[in-house]
Amino acid sequence: MFDMSLARRLLVRQHFLSDCFVRAASNAARLKYDVVVVGGGHAGTEAAAAAARTGAETLLITQKIQTIGALSCNPSLGGVGKGQLVREVDALDGLMGRAGDRAGIHFSILNRSKGPAVWGPRAQIDRGCYREFIQSELLNMPRLTVIEGSVEDLLLSAADPEQPGKHKVTGVRMANGGGEILSGSIILTTGTFLSGSLFMGQTTSPGGRMGDPPSCAGLSHCLREVLGLKVGRLRTGTPPRLVKDTVDFSLTELHLPDSKPVPFSFVNKHTQCKPEEQLPCHLTYTTPGVDKVVRESLNVNSHIHQDTRGPRYCPSIESRVLRFPGRQHQVWLEPEGLTSDLVYPQGLSMTMPPELQLRLLREIPALRRVEIRMAGYGVQYDFVCPTQLFPWLQMKNVQGLFLAGQINGTTGYEEAAAQGLWAGVNAGRIALSLPPMSLSRTESYIGVLIDDLVGRGVTEPYRMFTSRAEFRTALRPDNADLRLTPRGFEEVGCVSWQRYQEAVRVSRGLGEALSALQSITLSSFQWREKLGHFSISETKSTLISGKEVLQYKDVSFDLLASAFPDILSPYLEFSERLKIEAVYQPHCEKQRQEMERMRKEESLALPQDIDYFSLPVSLSDEVREILDRARPSTLGAATRLPGITPAAIIHLLRFVTKVGVTTGEAAYMQVRGPKPDCWRGASVHERDREKATVVQS
Amino acid sequence: MFFVTGWRSALLINVTRLQVDYMFPVVFRKPFPFRRLCKSASSEDTIFALSSGQGRCGVAVVRVSGPASVDALRSMAGLTRRLPAPRTALLRRLLHPHSKELLDRGLVLWFPGPHSFTGEDSVEFHIHGGPAVINGILQALGSLPRLRPAEAGEFTRRAFHAGKLDLTEVEGMGDLIHAETEAQRRQALRQMAGDLGQLYNDWSLQLKQSLAHVEAFIDFSEGDLIEDGVLYEVDVAVSQLRVEVEKHLSDERKGERLRSGVQVVIAGSTNVGKSSLFNILCQRPAAIVSPVAGTTRDVVETPLDIGGFPVLLSDTAGLRDTCDCVEREGVHRARQTVEQADLTLVVIDTAQLPQDLLMVPGLLSRYLKMVLPNRKDEQCLLVLNKRDLLPKSHIAVIQRVLQQNPGLPPLSILSCHNKEGLEDFLTLLQDRIKTLCGDPLASSPSLTQTRHRTHLQKCVDALAQYYQYRDTDLALAAEGLRSGLTSLGRITGKVGAEEILDVIFRDFCIGK
Repeated sequence: MFDMSLARRLLVRQHFLSDCFVRAASNAARLKYDVVVVGGGHAGTEAAAAAARTGAETLLITQKIQTIGALSCNPSLGGVGKGQLVREVDALDGLMGRAGDRAGIHFSILNRSKGPAVWGPRAQIDRGCYREFIQSELLNMPRLTVIEGSVEDLLLSAADPEQPGKHKVTGVRMANGGGEILSGSIILTTGTFLSGSLFMGQTTSPGGRMGDPPSCAGLSHCLREVLGLKVGRLRTGTPPRLVKDTVDFSLTELHLPDSKPVPFSFVNKHTQCKPEEQLPCHLTYTTPGVDKVVRESLNVNSHIHQDTRGPRYCPSIESRVLRFPGRQHQVWLEPEGLTSDLVYPQGLSMTMPPELQLRLLREIPALRRVEIRMAGYGVQYDFVCPTQLFPWLQMKNVQGLFLAGQINGTTGYEEAAAQGLWAGVNAGRIALSLPPMSLSRTESYIGVLIDDLVGRGVTEPYRMFTSRAEFRTALRPDNADLRLTPRGFEEVGCVSWQRYQEAVRVSRGLGEALSALQSITLSSFQWREKLGHFSISETKSTLISGKEVLQYKDVSFDLLASAFPDILSPYLEFSERLKIEAVYQPHCEKQRQEMERMRKEESLALPQDIDYFSLPVSLSDEVREILDRARPSTLGAATRLPGITPAAIIHLLRFVTKVGVTTGEAAYMQVRGPKPDCWRGASVHERDREKATVVQS
Repeated sequence: MFFVTGWRSALLINVTRLQVDYMFPVVFRKPFPFRRLCKSASSEDTIFALSSGQGRCGVAVVRVSGPASVDALRSMAGLTRRLPAPRTALLRRLLHPHSKELLDRGLVLWFPGPHSFTGEDSVEFHIHGGPAVINGILQALGSLPRLRPAEAGEFTRRAFHAGKLDLTEVEGMGDLIHAETEAQRRQALRQMAGDLGQLYNDWSLQLKQSLAHVEAFIDFSEGDLIEDGVLYEVDVAVSQLRVEVEKHLSDERKGERLRSGVQVVIAGSTNVGKSSLFNILCQRPAAIVSPVAGTTRDVVETPLDIGGFPVLLSDTAGLRDTCDCVEREGVHRARQTVEQADLTLVVIDTAQLPQDLLMVPGLLSRYLKMVLPNRKDEQCLLVLNKRDLLPKSHIAVIQRVLQQNPGLPPLSILSCHNKEGLEDFLTLLQDRIKTLCGDPLASSPSLTQTRHRTHLQKCVDALAQYYQYRDTDLALAAEGLRSGLTSLGRITGKVGAEEILDVIFRDFCIGK
């Protein structure tokens, strides 16, 4: 198996830059894969890469290899909440963080002044560069094959009676007579292409992204009619792209990036782009003229007349003006790349006819003479109600079918990537007869994201915010590696040996440094002597440890290290992280019990076939209805449903105990039977050996 | 016990959902077949709660469960070396762990896990049933590290986790729920209709809005138009809220009194007719009455319904110096009971009155000082017994003299013998009890649950964290608001992240 993939990999290296297509065709010959990923967006790419990392032979099917890794909307990555997701994807060895470091052209940490738990690492991205990086990573990845094509239908068979679900996928049928490809684990990441239609003014055309052919008609039919999945409809939009030379930047506010760009990835010490080479962003505002054009355009703007739910936080300029009339709205003019001649006007997504778009733009002083390269448009698309998924992103109803990304009702590259990665991991695991795994809300934003999706469903495109994470102070961007990388290697099997080693080294270093700090205890008087003037409370008569002193606002680790160079200077590389750890540890400690309670409840599975209406316990009809609708996978998920009372939870506990206390994954495991223990470590080592060979060659 | 059940049931109505734990232990005292389905929760914190009914009962049971139970047992019962044999009662003096003040003498039982109700290490304190004792014990437990009051359903939940409970037996519980006394019923109704709930909900809403604004500032302020003024508004709202909750917390325990009963104590010298009054009030010969001074040795208690309010009436030994060691203990207890009373009926015998009726006020003052060294006027009523032995003309004179001496508490002149003056006394007593409880239908709703008090206090503390971090770390400041909201939510119901986001999107134009 490894010989084969090595051979293919070398083949890929030869052909990649010259002719992707040839290479793709040559690989399509293989007709059976462990995992098949449909779609090459952010979810699909992470899914394919993650499945391959777990050791599964993986096939990625995309319409055009060229558009793999395309940023279809805004040319930026990260932000508040989203930055945390990028960090977590990176901590699990995903592609997104490293791609951002390679392609970023304007790095800044948002929320710098608001506390490290809510810092939002963000970057403007060079679209071309990002795409290139993702493509080269995927096309060079062992055990991963990429082909171009359209999937027309899913191949189904009778369900395995010993597992939950009515159907079972066995493969995909390619469109245009492309034949069948067999696989027991299929991940759909079709984004906005599921019954997608594009809106501009009063014209509507089928499709998921401007410039790409519509697809998935067959898939849509299969999901809805054959598999009987509950489907909803959402909308989104994108602004027009402007010609850079026609923008008068002198009428805008200049926004400079951070002078010391901080990379997304834990394995990168610095970003590809040099600090001084970064590009600025520009800020301008809407005018009353913009409001006027919006109101005039209403009768020729069919997108906004639709009932379909759009996002409240990323609204089109039309809905912003209608909801909050008479206000100035911000418009960010963002670079599209180092050499690009385009500008992306963040905040001006619109769906009115192109001539009105131009009129609207020109109401803004800095855009008085602007030209549009590509007009803005709206998209409406089907999503599959995500409450039909297990927390490992497999359909409850269909064995072997995984969904990730916008198809689950989310919005945003980062949200898609996070789901893709986790779906990939689990598809890979199931293909290898390993039990699926889920991430807890208490350990990651990815866990929060997936739990919200599968537990509550969506009514509007779901986007990550820090306020969604109840344990925000513990789930910080700075510690994603400590939270996820060790588990990613030891349990999940999706993290490389090198990255694991680095995480272990960092974790050990931080631990040692903290105990070294703890071991330094002085009186407040002595501390003042050592450190000079700082506001330590006079009255404190007891001894104060270095760790406590580090909690003081004006004390940095560097300052302490200069006072105790022998003890602390070995840890200077962790300076910033130590400061954060010292400040946050007491707060995280306070939350620990609550986290454990949640983890415990998350580990109690509720059987999927409970008939809540005939359950012989005292539950109100209202509660029964809520439970029936949501079908929570675990007791923890049930407690988070709005309208569920503590009494109802106690009653549900009875069932959990009756059925036996097992996690969903464990239940799955019982059915499938465990895989030999040696798998995890072995495959990673083999993979690394393989990598080493390739590098030498 | 029947009466106690009634009080507890009112409490169940008040907060039916949240209160489950207080009743379960009573019902599930019988042992369950041991089957452990999941590992015991050794990492959890330790919880405690009054497991018997809240109210008058001879013995109250306070249950502690969790890894720190053993520490609680050691420090409260002064067991420094050996623990008692498992599941064996041991009589100990129970001391406050910090002040070393004697709280009660009672039985302690040690249930090492898994052979306990919850499957965890547990301790039971069987103590005297008065609210002062119970509150004293609960407060003492709360002052220990790693111990906190139990949450809704928590004992039960833990018992479930340990595979110790079968829920079918829970379901008969509903029958127990009915209000005993009229006033409790009214307060229960009021709470259900949501007066208190409304107040807490309003606070919850205010806090939710403040939190949402801080969250908006965190999640959206960069690159969006959320003005810094938003935080200033939050500062104002949070500080107002803090003041309001603190004020509510200092309502002198009116509501709690209504729920657990007003402690009324009859006290006075020997042989003035305290036990006679006691028997009249409880309408049965509950205490022995004899012409011999010092008949009553111990404190005799009975729960009563006076004008719709729950009352725990205590008869005490007559106060006098004595060489009889049993009686001396009785006097000591009488003094203790008086100390803890909400209302003391100070009984005096007409025979003790001076010849010169103008001297009556002076005598009464001295007498009051003897019975109640730390007297507060609103805490006592004077009862002049044996009216039948007093000439009618004297009564009028005494009343006139007392009118000219407003410094004394109200005086009732009655006869336990022929019931004369009893009607007036009962009206006076009822008015006083009503004042102590607060009329559940008037003014602002008062605090009825010790648990509410705990959560409100936590909320106030959490709000302080907001100010502590407001300028340095907004994430930690928001955490303060969030845990404040969680504390309020423990009383009113949960507030989820979605609701916070709803407020954000309602109040702000988020454009990114």
